[in-house]
Amino acid sequence: MTERLIENAAQLFLLLALAPLVTGVIRTLKARLQTRRGPAILQPYRDLVKLFRKGMVVPDTASWIFAATPWVVFFSTVLAGLMIPMVAADAPLGLFGGVLAVIYLLGLGRFFLALSGMDTGSSFGGLGSSREMTISALAEPAMMLAIFTVAIGAGSTGLTEIAGAAIGQHWRFLAPAQMFAFAALALVLIAETGRIPVDNPDTHLELTMIHEAMILEYSGPYLALLEWAASIKQLVLMTLLINCFWPFGLQPTWFGFGAVEGIGWLMAKLFLLSCAIVLLETVNAKMRLFRVPELLAVAFTLGSLALVSTFLF
Amino acid sequence: MTSFLNNLREHFPEQVRSVEEHVPGQFTVLVNGPDATEIARHLLTEHQARLVTIFAEDRVKAEGVFYLYYLFDRLGDPSWLILKAPISPENPSFPSLAAEFPAVNWQEREIQDWFGLEAAGHPNPRRVALHDNWPDVHPLRKDFPLDTVLPPFEGERHIYRPAHGEGIFHIPVGPVHAGIIEPGHFNFTVAGEPILYLQLRMFYTHKATEKLFENLPIHRAVFLAESISGDSAFSHGTAFCQAIERAAGIEVPARAQFLRTILLELERIANHISDAGAIANDVGFAIANAHAGRVREILLGLCECLTGSRVLRGMVAIGGVRRDWQQAQVEAIESTLQIVQREFRDLVAILQSSNSTRERLERTGILRPQKASMLGVVGVAGRASGVDLDLRRDHPYEAYRHLPFRVPVYQAGDVRHRLLVRIDEVGESMQLIRAATAQLPDGPHRASAQPIPPGRCAIGAVEGWRGEIVHWVRTGEGNCLERCKVKDPSLNNWPAIVEAVEGNIVADFPVINKSFNLSYSGTDR
Repeated sequence: MTERLIENAAQLFLLLALAPLVTGVIRTLKARLQTRRGPAILQPYRDLVKLFRKGMVVPDTASWIFAATPWVVFFSTVLAGLMIPMVAADAPLGLFGGVLAVIYLLGLGRFFLALSGMDTGSSFGGLGSSREMTISALAEPAMMLAIFTVAIGAGSTGLTEIAGAAIGQHWRFLAPAQMFAFAALALVLIAETGRIPVDNPDTHLELTMIHEAMILEYSGPYLALLEWAASIKQLVLMTLLINCFWPFGLQPTWFGFGAVEGIGWLMAKLFLLSCAIVLLETVNAKMRLFRVPELLAVAFTLGSLALVSTFLF
Repeated sequence: MTSFLNNLREHFPEQVRSVEEHVPGQFTVLVNGPDATEIARHLLTEHQARLVTIFAEDRVKAEGVFYLYYLFDRLGDPSWLILKAPISPENPSFPSLAAEFPAVNWQEREIQDWFGLEAAGHPNPRRVALHDNWPDVHPLRKDFPLDTVLPPFEGERHIYRPAHGEGIFHIPVGPVHAGIIEPGHFNFTVAGEPILYLQLRMFYTHKATEKLFENLPIHRAVFLAESISGDSAFSHGTAFCQAIERAAGIEVPARAQFLRTILLELERIANHISDAGAIANDVGFAIANAHAGRVREILLGLCECLTGSRVLRGMVAIGGVRRDWQQAQVEAIESTLQIVQREFRDLVAILQSSNSTRERLERTGILRPQKASMLGVVGVAGRASGVDLDLRRDHPYEAYRHLPFRVPVYQAGDVRHRLLVRIDEVGESMQLIRAATAQLPDGPHRASAQPIPPGRCAIGAVEGWRGEIVHWVRTGEGNCLERCKVKDPSLNNWPAIVEAVEGNIVADFPVINKSFNLSYSGTDR
């Protein structure tokens, strides 16, 4: 029991502390590729501290949804984060069918975010919500198919079992099913974390925003919670991708010297994936909004192929 | 032009009262007030003349009338033609041309707002230059003192065209925007993502610039002209100086003409390069913007080395330019251009090689040539939509008549072609600067100062990087101005954005807007 608690606390700390760092690394790498110096890597932490200290402006038209959303989004994301194997294959929490719960906890956050975008009655918020829902309606099935492919391999939808199976066997990444599922999940990752070519996290143009448009009315601590939750979500999805498909260095448990090694591996893999994301963002322009469904249709097709290949090969 | 004018006089023997070449190459035809519209219509339909601008002047105190001026040019003729129509203060109205020639829509309404002359028969005679909540005042009349303090506005605000229907809603954007841009209100009516129509509201930065000119000594008015639109400081300044020089008969030395030409082209290159980056940035291709910013910085450094100002302020002066260049500065031009040319080639390669960027720009924000010429669109936006106009070629000024260059014109009219016009023009401008530097004559850089005689009128016209800039002046007593009309290219081009965005999706508006890159300050004045 105490062991579980320590595991939970350790993973919670890792999630909260590491998430802004990943965002900071991505921003800095992007700036360097654009020949800019860019903000310091630790800037996201400073932004969070700054926002938590600030006052808030709440629109007169806002209902309880506006105030509830930051909490719902933050806690559902953190809860989802506790259910994935980060350092040890044994995830601290394993509730309601593992990976399905992760997907739907993230879905709950998104649902509230979209509601709050419309809640204030601002036209930008509504625009953002409608765009977010269009995209997630397509991203979610693709993600499910990809995850199921992995789950069938492991014989369970529990993430602990999936990761355990991945460690136990020889690495099967080059199997067609795994390749397809990886590609599908990578595309979903791009869409869900609001990165180019789907969304542009750096833009100031309200008319082109998706995620940023929904949180346009937030300020101060609420905004800090949402920004923090967004980077945690990014970390969770990235970890899910790397630990399902590249399980190197994943420790059997959180305890002992192995944990340090596990954290080292996690950081190294996250850094590699961040580099790939940055490269993709730099060489591509944002897609025309109506082309994004086509990208997600590709992800869906890849997911379907992955699932079919599991039975063929 | 002479035969054409004789023709006009034969055609309208009753209406044409006098024809005068008040400045070489600029003809004024005095007509009776109500006849101006008929003659203008004749010129526009029968002679393929182009109505460049229309403006008014208050001469009630001096001559007992208002004057209305219609400025025309004709393809292949470097002279200017002005129809001058007196309007009596007892019956302050003139027949509107806006229904047939939408290009004058806003300009006629400006006259309405500023002078209280009614554009009779205007299809949409609502306020434009002064907003709806203004009291009934006419600030450009001479009996309206500049230091008037108006009571707090209590009038009704502008009412936008309503939209009805399932899923149809308004997105009001601005006047205050995110990012470092000027104020303007955009009211989109959308059906989901696609834009049904866009309503624009400008003139949030109206500064009564034309009124301010009337109270300044001419040498100080040059600085005011430079600040009409910050990114076109040198072009606006030069257009103003040209108008004064022509009015006063000041001969600009050859060296000054070449120096001005080089600086005009440097301004064009710097702005075009920064626009190319900004267009890419608006589709999320930030790396091109980063490079464009770097290249522009090199050019601004050169501008500082040549004039002491990164944005070329304080250089142009009546009769020439304020400072001459030493040999080292002239050599700096060539060496910098070599770097810029190489870097710009790389930038173009980055832009052209990015398929995802190309996909966003192609067929986005199409302005059809027919619409463009109907709306009187000028400059870069016009040339991307088949409007083959360039004052440097059509009304050569400064050193342009000695220098070879090509005017790129495309028919497609989408964002990508507006970008291509800019890319082509950067290349041409570099050749122009090289040729001008090679031929740079010796001699004085500024004509000696002389008093400006009162009561003279003239036009100065410069093809700024954005499009044609026209200044019309009437000099007054004591080295001051009676009137200065400023026509910025943005004024004609804003309504074209309304046409270009129709049917596009809301998310594409920023890049369409950026591809026009119009000046709010220049529009509002």
